[in-house]
This record gives sequence, C-alpha cells and structure tokens, in this order.
Amino acid sequence: MQTSELVTSQIDVFSDAVLRDPYPYYAELREMGPVVFLEKNNLWAVTRYQGIRDALENHQAFSSQKVAFNDDMNNALAGTSLATDPPEHRQLRKTLMGPLTPRALKSIEDDITVKADRLVGELVSRGSFDAITDLVRPFVREVVSDMIGVQGVARENILRWGEAAFNVLGPMNQRTIESFPAAGELFHWCAEVTQADLTEGTLGWGIFEAAKRGEIAPESCGAIIHQYVAAGMDTTIASIGNAIGHFAAFPEEYAKLVENPALARSAFNESLRFEPPASLFGRYVKADVTFEGTMIPGGSQAAVLFAAGNRDPRHYSDPDTYKIDRDPADNLAFGYGIHTCAGQGLARIEAMAILTAFARNVRRFKADQPQRVLNNMTRALSSLPVVEVEAQ
Amino acid sequence: MSASTPRATLVIDRERCEGHCQCVLVAPDLLDLDDTGAVVITVPDVTDRIDLARKAVQACPAIALSIAPGDTWG
Repeated sequence: MQTSELVTSQIDVFSDAVLRDPYPYYAELREMGPVVFLEKNNLWAVTRYQGIRDALENHQAFSSQKVAFNDDMNNALAGTSLATDPPEHRQLRKTLMGPLTPRALKSIEDDITVKADRLVGELVSRGSFDAITDLVRPFVREVVSDMIGVQGVARENILRWGEAAFNVLGPMNQRTIESFPAAGELFHWCAEVTQADLTEGTLGWGIFEAAKRGEIAPESCGAIIHQYVAAGMDTTIASIGNAIGHFAAFPEEYAKLVENPALARSAFNESLRFEPPASLFGRYVKADVTFEGTMIPGGSQAAVLFAAGNRDPRHYSDPDTYKIDRDPADNLAFGYGIHTCAGQGLARIEAMAILTAFARNVRRFKADQPQRVLNNMTRALSSLPVVEVEAQ
Repeated sequence: MSASTPRATLVIDRERCEGHCQCVLVAPDLLDLDDTGAVVITVPDVTDRIDLARKAVQACPAIALSIAPGDTWG
C-alpha cells in the first residue's frame, strides 16, 4: 500500500487550552490528515469519522491493551473486558453486558422515569436551580447506586470516584497525578466489597450470585463492579448535562423538543454527536500497520478522536451546527464494535427520562454562564445555573 | 419481481448482536423485538428500502447487521 508523508502536530490534546475548547484544535488535526502524529503526546491520532470506525472495527491492529494514556492505569485495567482483546474478551464482555441490555433493563426503566419526573417537577416548582448539581449529578448517582446496590459511605464517595476514574486515564500530567488517590479509593473499595455490602437483588449483588453459580471467578467480582461504577457515572452525567447545556445555548432548537417530546431520542443523539462525553480514547498498535496511508510503527500508542470524527464534514453536513432533529444514531460517542459502550442502554434510559421530563415541564428557560472542571477524558459541565423557568 | 432484479437482504449476526436495539429504533419498519426482547428482522428483503436498511446497519454499534446480495429464500 502507498504510504504518504508523515503528518505531525505540536498540539497537546491534554493541555488546558485544548480541554477548555477542543473543537478548533480537533478540526485542525482532522484537516491535516486522517492520521496525525502528536509529538507532544507521543501518540498517533485517528481524526476522521470513517477512519475511527475502521480503527475500532480492526481490533487486531488497534488493540485495547492500552486504552489509557499511562502505564500505571493500563496495568491496573489489565484483565478487564475494557482492556482485553479477543478471544479472552468475549466471556468478560458477556458477563459485564448481561444485566445491561435493554431487555434486562426493562424492569427498572419505569422506576427511572418516575425518579426523573419527580426530581424535575420539584426543581421546576422551585423556579431556579442548577441543572448539573441539583439535577443531573444527584439523579445519576441515585440511579446507578440503586442499580448496583451501593449503600452507606461508598454512596457518598461515588461521584468523586467516578470523576477520578476518568481523569487517571490521561497521560501522567498534573490532573492524572492528583486524581490517583481518589481513583485508588475506588479500586480499594471494589477489592474489599462483599455481597453483604450490596442491596439484595441488585445488579452488584447478582455478580456475586454468578460467582456462586461458578459462571465467573470469585476474584473477578470486584473488577466487574469497578467497571460499573467507574464507567457508569461520569460520562452519563457529562452527556445528559451537555444536552441540557445545548438546550440552553440553542433555545430555538429546544423549542422544537417542547413542541414534540418524541424528539428526545434524536436530541440525545445530536448532543452525543455535537459534544461527546469522552473526546477521545486510547488504543495500542502492537505491530507495524499501514492505516489510511500512514505507517504506524508497532509498539505505538494511538488515540481515536471521537469529538473530531463526530464533526467530520465528510460524514455530517453542517457539522458545527446543533440540529435537534438530525438524529445521528451512527455518531461515535459510544465507540463502535466489540468494545462499544456496554452501558449505553442504561445511559439512554437515564437521558430519555430526564430530557423528556424537562421538555414536558419546562416551556422556556434561561441559564447563566455554565462552568466546567477540566478532565483529561470527559467533557462535562460542573454547573449550569437555570435562573428563569417558564413552566408548562 | 423478475428474476434478473438484484435483491438485497438484511442479515443479522447473532454472535455479534448484543441487543442494543438501535436498529429497531432507526428502522421499525424493517426490524422489531420478539416476545423475549431479541431483535428480529421483519422485512428481510430490503431491495426497495435500501436507504433505510443502510441507516439501520450504520446505527448498529456492535457491527451485527449487514446487507447481503440475494434473498433469504434463494
């Protein structure tokens, strides 16, 4: 295969400037080429929609052995379905995914909808509230904690743990180093947790039942519960919070949702496309591979830039415009292929519940300037003060 | 239809399908859920609905859906 000249960039995708607003930088990388070597990060970035789909489909060339951007975390994640390739991946994935299919989630869907309606109703009657700290964060914490069966002190810590779990996937920068203690608390809790600590009949409790039946090794229970907690919080909060942020930023688009709440699914897909909860994710190139005309040497760290691919004009027309009725069901936010987000069914149920309740209760609203805390991996609002609400 | 018309068939790979149900949401005219909640193809011959079929294929996060030439009976 013909190889083209190596395209390199000095952009540091984990710098404050890029994390504050990745889109101009990601657009620059995407237009430089389908594969760009980032000298400051020592990694190969896959930048365009189709290339990202192809890389994620090709798990032989793009291994999940290094999904994080530092060795300590890659070592810590070794043996989990997230960081394992076929054939070992298959059984781990099956165990993780079993309780998370839409079929399995059907029984808790109504309960989640009721929780969302009640919380949104209460906040709207208050007249002003913070869409992140009063709504999305407590809601996701309650849903995920109840589902896994987490009680007591762990429940108080779970949001802090979830945030740290994503920060530590970055390179060894200040953010990663500062997040290691909290991420370590979560690893420690998961290593110590017993079935008696979890509410009977919940998903977490069921993992220990599966071990009793001999379906999984008893020592892997903690690792599976770690994946539910670590992956279930921060990105879900990010994606639902971002969607409400988009409603505030584009009131004409939000008006279409109020007019037709059935657009909630499309709205959520468009928010995932416009601003994915994780801007990028890691892969490991084990052996020399020529990909999109570029020779990537074996032993290299790669990254798929979801946030760049989701705004690729080669795939989406007018990609920098938020269109609530676009329904981009094929967007890259949840990844693609054998490692596609295992919890996307639950995330969608949570998002549908909140966004539908919001559209039914809030005709119009006004929000102050949103705030964000920078995270190496997740792109999320930390505060979105809703200062005026016109109820339905 | 005449025998010479090229047919297109929607095919599901059961080994890959994880039940994310995105295909059913995108193309409810072609796919549905059965009583057990498993995805089933209700209109396998998608020759006349090729754009919708492609949308369903594109929406599957698990790469479990594809369009094959020919028909399921041939």
